[in-house]
Amino acid sequence: MKIKNNKVTWQENSAKNITFIVTKDCQLACKYCYLVGKNEKERMSFDVAKAAIDYILDRENEKNFDTESVIWDFIGGEPFLEIDLIDKVCDYIKQEMYSRNHHWFNSYRFSFSTNGINYDSEKVQKFIKKNKSHLSIAITIDGTKRKHDLNRIWKGDGSGPERGSYDDVVRNIPLWQSQFPGVGTKVTISSADIPYICESVLHLYDLGIHQVNINCVFEKVWKEGDDKLFEEQLMMLADTIIDRDLYIENSCSFFSEDLGKPLDCKLQNHNWCGAGKMLAIDAQGNFYPCTRFAQYSLRDKEAWIIGNIHDGIDNNKLRPFLTLDRCTQSTPECADCEVAEGCAWCQGENYDAAKTHTVFERATAICLMHKARVRANNYYWNKLYRKLELEGTREEFENQKPKSNDIIC
Amino acid sequence: MKKYYQYIVILLDDTSVSYCHADNPLKEKRLIPLEVLREAILFSMKENLMIQFVYPEYELPKEYNDLIETIDHIKIGKDVLVYDSVPTNVERKNVVLRLAIADFLAKQYDIALLLPKVTRLNISITDIENFKDELIEDYRTALEMLNSVLLNIYKGGNSPEINILTDRLRLNEMHNCDAGVENITLAPNGKFYLCPAFYYDEQMGVSTRMNHKTKDASRSVGDLEVGINIPNKQLLELERAPLCRICDAYHCNRCIWLNQKLTWDNNTPSRQQCVMAHIERNASRDLSNKLKDTGFVLENEIKEINYLDPFDVKEEF
Ligand code: SF4
Ligand code: SF4
Repeated sequence: MKIKNNKVTWQENSAKNITFIVTKDCQLACKYCYLVGKNEKERMSFDVAKAAIDYILDRENEKNFDTESVIWDFIGGEPFLEIDLIDKVCDYIKQEMYSRNHHWFNSYRFSFSTNGINYDSEKVQKFIKKNKSHLSIAITIDGTKRKHDLNRIWKGDGSGPERGSYDDVVRNIPLWQSQFPGVGTKVTISSADIPYICESVLHLYDLGIHQVNINCVFEKVWKEGDDKLFEEQLMMLADTIIDRDLYIENSCSFFSEDLGKPLDCKLQNHNWCGAGKMLAIDAQGNFYPCTRFAQYSLRDKEAWIIGNIHDGIDNNKLRPFLTLDRCTQSTPECADCEVAEGCAWCQGENYDAAKTHTVFERATAICLMHKARVRANNYYWNKLYRKLELEGTREEFENQKPKSNDIIC
Repeated sequence: MKKYYQYIVILLDDTSVSYCHADNPLKEKRLIPLEVLREAILFSMKENLMIQFVYPEYELPKEYNDLIETIDHIKIGKDVLVYDSVPTNVERKNVVLRLAIADFLAKQYDIALLLPKVTRLNISITDIENFKDELIEDYRTALEMLNSVLLNIYKGGNSPEINILTDRLRLNEMHNCDAGVENITLAPNGKFYLCPAFYYDEQMGVSTRMNHKTKDASRSVGDLEVGINIPNKQLLELERAPLCRICDAYHCNRCIWLNQKLTWDNNTPSRQQCVMAHIERNASRDLSNKLKDTGFVLENEIKEINYLDPFDVKEEF
């Protein structure tokens, strides 16, 4: 029996993640999009990107930049709207890493999260062919048509009816899967999506997407009773995955064995999110600890700018991020929580929701949802193990235990 | 051990002297209303808080002086004199000296001349943000020089204190400013602040650039009517400061206002603050060893360490 593993992403621990916010524009206006300040004007120029690259590559041996590998990430808005710029920037990165004999030349990746709408365009396809061996591309598709179209709608002027984008994306899935076989997709769940979770995950499996990374938004959007509905959906999903043997070929990040145990404040005290270890750059050439700290992602707080391409990084502004640990930012309830393992947070949302100017106040809007997930997850593993036991395949399964791969932001 | 409020700082006027890192930018006189002062004293008595009154340069009206004398207190700006440049002579034995780092380095020999004249000298650097790594050696040698002067005075039988060199000698746990935790400030507007610097920031509108996007620039944490109410108070405590809780520069001010100004988080110190405090800590260690060699009994052992910024070695803890 071959069991599908939740793959650990490429060079996950040893790679520096550098994100270019190339545009704040997008063809869609997804209802859950956390980007409160999207607009059509702020597009990155090549000169800004070049200055950032020079700054970064000049610091090959500095602590911030001495990781084994690098992921050059391009996001938006919709990054492929700026494919000409991206192509030029990627060429420059390759040239510079090569001519400087930079150690990253042996270990780099260009990474994209796209809405998939212009995936098949000539320019995007040309870019893919040129860089294929160094590319990760994730297309976001939320599940069934009705679920996807509930949130992922075309931008309109408000006069006509809402138009969903499912058909415009799904037609590109076969091409994407043929070019990047086995690559997963990322699904984000908000309150209104809960009734569609089970059908959506199954639909994605049907489309040939075998790895579904799914998570609840961290914002305070949950209504009373959502946790119960959520639990029901996950139980339904668990039953279907197990009864139809779907766990053999597929994975869903909602079910993970590393979930729902208490955590120790000394031995298991690491921070969840990589803000501060990553670096994001916007069109003005400002640096951020992560894109979620740029003004267009923040509701209530000022942007957390840690420097810019002219003056460099002010390391003082990074110190809070690089000293963060789990228990310091947690309430006593979270520190002592019986099911804390796998309960995630987003540092940007923590900052945005905090009472004061700090990244040390953990937002817990997700609390009941996590507890519901833990219950369903326990059910899943108990049921699956019993089945495997009866089939005599448990040992084989345990030997190939899937690793967890919670992609949370 | 959990800490509780021990004392209150009452700013008698908007132009009350600044006695710490932050300059007082307020130039217009605004005397605390007599009624507010009365309430503040009552509050302090009921909460069992020691009072430090901070004086402006001008003389207070008689009714103020009479009211102040109804309660035990310390007068900052009077009992404790505050200087913004190195005086040649001092009228009191307890002195605060506020200097920019460049002035401290330039005037180090004048400071040495003050040492025999005081019982306590508090040095407060007013531009810690300007302390670059290139100044490490200069600061170290300045403290070395002051150490040798101190040693001679100690041998002669006097033992003046200077915060950056002698405080660490006897400490074996953190002893920081503890604004908001062990002490609280009351401004002339009748509101509480973590320390005077937060009041100045509010009055100058600095907080609007720093804090929430809301129009409310207030940095106050309560008033005499509702009491003290500090949001995220736990983040002011040592246990919630990941660097400071592993650190043994016990004399360090651990200034939360500077933290916020330079790192944007109250509980995270800047490199500058840490490096300066560690140069001082290491100088205290030298002084301690030399005093012991001379026959002084000091119980504390200050370890030799190989870093100046706990941030650089945080993984080792
Ligand atoms: S948010 Fe809730 S589930 Fe998560 S660790 Fe805290 S108490 Fe536990
Ligand atoms: S030296 Fe730095 S880490 Fe140590 S107490 Fe002072 S501010 Fe905190």
